[in-house]
Amino acid sequence: MAETTGTPAAAPDLSVRLGPLRLANPVLVASGTFGYGEEYADFLDPGRLGAVIVKGISLLPRPGNPPPRLVETPAGMINAIGLENVGVDRFIDVKLPLLRQRRATVIVNIFGNTVDEYAGLASKLDGEDGVAALEINISCPNVKQGGMVFGTDPATAAAVVGAVRARTALPLITKLTPNVTRIGEIARAAVDAGTDAISCINTVAAMAVDIFSRRPKLANVFGGLSGPAVKPIALRCTYEVLQAVKCPVIGVGGIGTATDALEFMLLGARAVQVGTANFVNPGVSVEILEGIERFLRFQGLDRIEDFIGTLDTECLFPFAEDACGVLDLS
Amino acid sequence: MPKFQENALILDHREVADRTWLMRLMSPKIALEARAGQFVMVRVRDGIDPLLRRPLSFHRTFPEEGCIELLYRVVGKGTLLLSKTVPGMNLDLLGPLGNGFDLPAPDARGPIALIAGGIGIAPLFDLMERIALSNPAFDPQQMNLFYGTRTVAELLALSYFGALGVRVHWSTDDGSFGHKGHVTRMFAQFAEDSAFRPESLYACGPLEMQFHVARWALAHDVPAQLSLESLMACGLGACLGCALPAASPDDPAADGYVHVCMDGPIFPAGAVQWQKLQVHRPPPPIFLSD
Repeated sequence: MAETTGTPAAAPDLSVRLGPLRLANPVLVASGTFGYGEEYADFLDPGRLGAVIVKGISLLPRPGNPPPRLVETPAGMINAIGLENVGVDRFIDVKLPLLRQRRATVIVNIFGNTVDEYAGLASKLDGEDGVAALEINISCPNVKQGGMVFGTDPATAAAVVGAVRARTALPLITKLTPNVTRIGEIARAAVDAGTDAISCINTVAAMAVDIFSRRPKLANVFGGLSGPAVKPIALRCTYEVLQAVKCPVIGVGGIGTATDALEFMLLGARAVQVGTANFVNPGVSVEILEGIERFLRFQGLDRIEDFIGTLDTECLFPFAEDACGVLDLS
Repeated sequence: MPKFQENALILDHREVADRTWLMRLMSPKIALEARAGQFVMVRVRDGIDPLLRRPLSFHRTFPEEGCIELLYRVVGKGTLLLSKTVPGMNLDLLGPLGNGFDLPAPDARGPIALIAGGIGIAPLFDLMERIALSNPAFDPQQMNLFYGTRTVAELLALSYFGALGVRVHWSTDDGSFGHKGHVTRMFAQFAEDSAFRPESLYACGPLEMQFHVARWALAHDVPAQLSLESLMACGLGACLGCALPAASPDDPAADGYVHVCMDGPIFPAGAVQWQKLQVHRPPPPIFLSD
């Protein structure tokens, strides 16, 4: 064990840098799983998180898709919410002040039907007090426009990112879809167009049907799969993106424990987003943060940066005795 | 209103009717704040399958003793696993959630109708107790409970309601006890035959039943409070999965959604566009273990 001297070790430094964006710690909550930050305030202090990524925002309010919008599947869930949101003006007037009060680092997830709408959102949010960065959503599988169509083609992805880049000096994070053949190509296009970081992944296009009613279980027929079921897909995508680009990557997909989060960081992700797990355990993001801290102490590491990207792909069977942790990180 | 995550000890757990289970839990923080018609999100077990919590409404609450009771029906994987838990085990609860019923005004004297379809009896029992407690002058015989299930084996016994002194009107779809047919049909017939006009109406049950209740209430201009259900992931308003199409009679241009977890689960009859709802029928019990 690391702590044998009797003097408590200084708390490990959990701060991370994602291009121009500095975060106090690498644990973020994913867009669409944390509302606008107030919904979970009874269970944790949003100010403790690396950042709160709010529910995706469009220029005008959107009602979302018809119900049923949600179905549970083994180790996951499929949603087809359809980006229901209050619209950017109401977000700025009503939701953002509450987050400012709670001293949360806020990343605003934006999406539009057209490239111009993305650019318009960037203009509106640029310079808003309390907005730390924008996450450009070009990956939602549940809406025809404004979603995955922008994220499945390198040229359109670059067009969106470039248009947003031209309108704001805020750090930009581009959220990618796994529903492509070569995710690295999309990542490269986004980086070339000026994104500062990549989030990967959004939900995986999926479907569920009912043999009794003989109908799809979602009114939208398709939806986006999330939860523990998608973690291996997300890890693979993160790995591919890290191979393709030099820019910082935020891992997201099926993260529900500190171990899950550290797996993404081992690959090289500089931060992680906790999504569906928030629904199961509202305090899980802070538990993950504490678990990462315990892991670093156990490993005798002073900084999370010393762990990020240390995956040894040469050594496939690292079964040395000291490689097996005895620490319960869950 | 405060919400809590509480590790609740199971004190008692038994099957009180066919596939219908009554669970008593020690959950002092939640018990103290709970209102009739609110619910808890129950984590039926650790692990990732099933992943999501299950919403269950309060059946009875005992704030002084720090206890709550949940009455639920085994309809799928989650509730089947829940039914296997035993006293002495702990369950992770989130609550109290949702808006809850509004009780009748303290000076209300007129008749009240409560319509329960199947496991819809669960929150109405708490409501009846609270109405009786909140207004000692209220004659319990003015509370008319219309209670229907598919078959007699699913009915809670008469003794269950005895102490409350309410008038129970029974129905079963197959006619094995009480009126034969749907509970809403029985209710409408009773209202017509005896010129029964409740001052307020409360209902809980399948959406199909609630549609008939809503239609009756709107046609007869009786204020109704309906406890509606929808699949939900978070229970807190974050996922927006539990949407139902909203009706806004004052604003025909509005075509949005209400969310059962935060706008409900209790809604007035005119709050949702019933014709847009999809009806879910639970699978036959034989497939439960799938």
